[in-house]
Amino acid sequence: MTANPCRDPGTDASASRRAALRTLLLPAGVVAFGGGAGLSRIAAGASQPREAPFGQARIESDGTRTFRNVELHDQDGRRVRFHDDLVRDRIFAATFGYALCPGICRRMADNMRAASELLGPIMGDPVSFYSFSLAEDTPSRLREEMERRGIYGRPGWRYLTGPTEAIREIRWSFGFYDAGEEDTLGSPGTHTAMVRFGNHRLDSWNSCPSLAPPETIAASVVWLFPSCRRPSLPAVDRLRGSGAQRIPGFVPPAPLVAQR
Amino acid sequence: MPPHLSRRRFLGGTALSTGAFAIWTQRSKAEEIDYGAGVDFGSPPSPPWVEPLAFARHGVPLPPWQALTPAVNPGAHQRYEEFAPVKFYDMQVSETLLRPHPAYALSPHTTYQRSVPGITFMMRYGEPVLCRIRNNMPSSLQGFGHPDCITHVHNGHHASESDGYPMDFYSPGWFRDHHWPNIYAGGDWREAKGTLWYHDHREHYTAQNTYRGLAGFFLLFDHLDSGREDDPNPDAFRLPSGVPDGPRTKGCYDIPLVFTDRRYDKEGRLTMDVMNMDGHLGDRLLVNGRIQPFFEVERRKYRFRLLDGGPSRFYRLALSNGMPFSHIANDGNMLPVPLLTDHVTLGVAERADIVVDFSQVPAGTHELYLINRMLQQEGHRPEDDILPVADSYQLLKFIIRSETGVPDPSRVPSTLRPLPERSAPVVRTREIRLDRSNGMWTINNRVFDPARVDIEFKRGTAEIWRLRTSGGWAHPLHIHMEEMQVLTYNDEPVTGGPLHARKDVFSLYQGDEMDIYVRFRDWLGNYALHCHNTVHEDHAMMARILIVP
Repeated sequence: MTANPCRDPGTDASASRRAALRTLLLPAGVVAFGGGAGLSRIAAGASQPREAPFGQARIESDGTRTFRNVELHDQDGRRVRFHDDLVRDRIFAATFGYALCPGICRRMADNMRAASELLGPIMGDPVSFYSFSLAEDTPSRLREEMERRGIYGRPGWRYLTGPTEAIREIRWSFGFYDAGEEDTLGSPGTHTAMVRFGNHRLDSWNSCPSLAPPETIAASVVWLFPSCRRPSLPAVDRLRGSGAQRIPGFVPPAPLVAQR
Repeated sequence: MPPHLSRRRFLGGTALSTGAFAIWTQRSKAEEIDYGAGVDFGSPPSPPWVEPLAFARHGVPLPPWQALTPAVNPGAHQRYEEFAPVKFYDMQVSETLLRPHPAYALSPHTTYQRSVPGITFMMRYGEPVLCRIRNNMPSSLQGFGHPDCITHVHNGHHASESDGYPMDFYSPGWFRDHHWPNIYAGGDWREAKGTLWYHDHREHYTAQNTYRGLAGFFLLFDHLDSGREDDPNPDAFRLPSGVPDGPRTKGCYDIPLVFTDRRYDKEGRLTMDVMNMDGHLGDRLLVNGRIQPFFEVERRKYRFRLLDGGPSRFYRLALSNGMPFSHIANDGNMLPVPLLTDHVTLGVAERADIVVDFSQVPAGTHELYLINRMLQQEGHRPEDDILPVADSYQLLKFIIRSETGVPDPSRVPSTLRPLPERSAPVVRTREIRLDRSNGMWTINNRVFDPARVDIEFKRGTAEIWRLRTSGGWAHPLHIHMEEMQVLTYNDEPVTGGPLHARKDVFSLYQGDEMDIYVRFRDWLGNYALHCHNTVHEDHAMMARILIVP
């Protein structure tokens, strides 16, 4: 597929499209909230809050979304802002796990490590893997856990911890909750065996079970790339059926934007 | 969101608000609801009944002198020479700007032949077809949706390589040839299907891509369900006939209707909640891609092909005056006998063909509504309550043109298509358990793994599948390629009613149990079994069936 011209590179040249989006419809200062609860929420004019409400993202006029910048710490004790340092302009996979959980979290972590190995050359640039944890998982404990798993210092990997409200915020905004547990929704202690995948610039989001095969997890990351820049990874490519053929002379059209 | 509210309760309340919102849209101008702080929760106002019901154009095959380039590879298809195509189609998947209502913005949609619904395929048994589907999408999209595609004809009796298996997706700049032989399963005319639809089935992105527009009707006719109400063949059903072809609706009495629900931002642009894994509910209910359209009818019989196009909503469809109608087909398959009823219930992807006789509408009545009486506040299930008629969602307004009846050669025969015997020996009983584990939807406690065969099935044999569900959710379970027969529903033998039918979608509500007779004939390879709440499907509620010799 790389032989096709990549007229719409997406990850690094979608600025013009986003600028077009910005000018077409929305008057200045109008934003929409989406994400967690995901309903179209519009705030306008003077009543517009600076930040998204709890558990939601703010949909910007360029079609990207901005999450609340809750503060976290990584495995090295560095202060990290959720949106600015982890989401903005990034392609990533995120899970919630607890260092001391010997059950599902450990199996999830093993799966994620296996997936990251399949992604090999694109880990770190541009792909990041995050594991969010609770405050009782201190940075030093997270580091120990990463060292034990052999991923400390590996490109793209970050383990993160923060106060309960911050973790709850992230869980909520990423859609981690169990439909069967009405009163524990977004509870930081819930073990939701899911991976959230995101490509912030394209506002492209997906998820899959964290107990899915590593190949599926790796594929879910690869599928966030524009088709003309999608990395070719044998473990991922193997999953696909055959039978499709190239359209001779195909030039990808420019994506459309909404109009009045 | 008030911090003391759980997300579930908040969503429930919001959905209820938007439900009421839709009702107010129908009844009055009371749309300016003040939720405080300059925030509102619904799609923008959409005054009802301002646009006519719209229809897709019929698919047009290539003229005989025009060949597909590059040429079709017969070796890529099972039994290609045996069912050599007599018609060739060339369809493209591309972006198109569309609006569901004049007050809304034009939003980018992903479309088959630039139309939502996609073009209507008019097919006949005994006429094999080859359809080339080109992916002419941009390399990436801003927001929900994915530029890859793979098209599944639901529920075509097609070879695996043409079935639209989710892992057979392809990217912009590629095409795939689908061989649709249009044969009866097992060569048995009693296995005829009638109302099918086609839609995207791209692994992980089916909900997003179909929501963005990738779905259309695929209608199959034969010597009995011939599509001619004046058919001289004495055996022909002579049901109301004539499928609209785009704006050409004159003399058309066979009306496909697809119901979808969508959500829009303040500017009227299509939006989708991509973080929600329960299921996505819209606060605007569309019929054939338009919000609350109207349809002018004559005082005579009409056939309506009703389809729940999802992504997650269930419907209980009725006429606003409670008038009965004939239910003639379940999941597009003719029932043994027509059923007189005042409602039909649809889970996602289920179909019901009904015949409404407008000549029976009392004189002086000029307006009638198709309504949805199903209350649904959460994406993963409808509520038990049935909405009173006065509070139901009005989907479509019928405007009755005349005071008196018009000539009507159509009929509803007293018998339709008998069920085939369950003659193949049952070699195995299997349990298919639909459940949830650690926040993920599962089938038999497993999530989808494309590399794993979940069910290996010997072609030509039969099995009993015991469908089981638990928890507080509902799942419309879909099985590809063949139609199944329902044996028992919650331990009661099924000997009549709408479930005494051939089906490919089984809507299971909390705690439901259903035993079905399953067989796969004619083809080999990979097929899917999945929940057709497409949000559940995309979150791994799928299993792989491998048909072997």
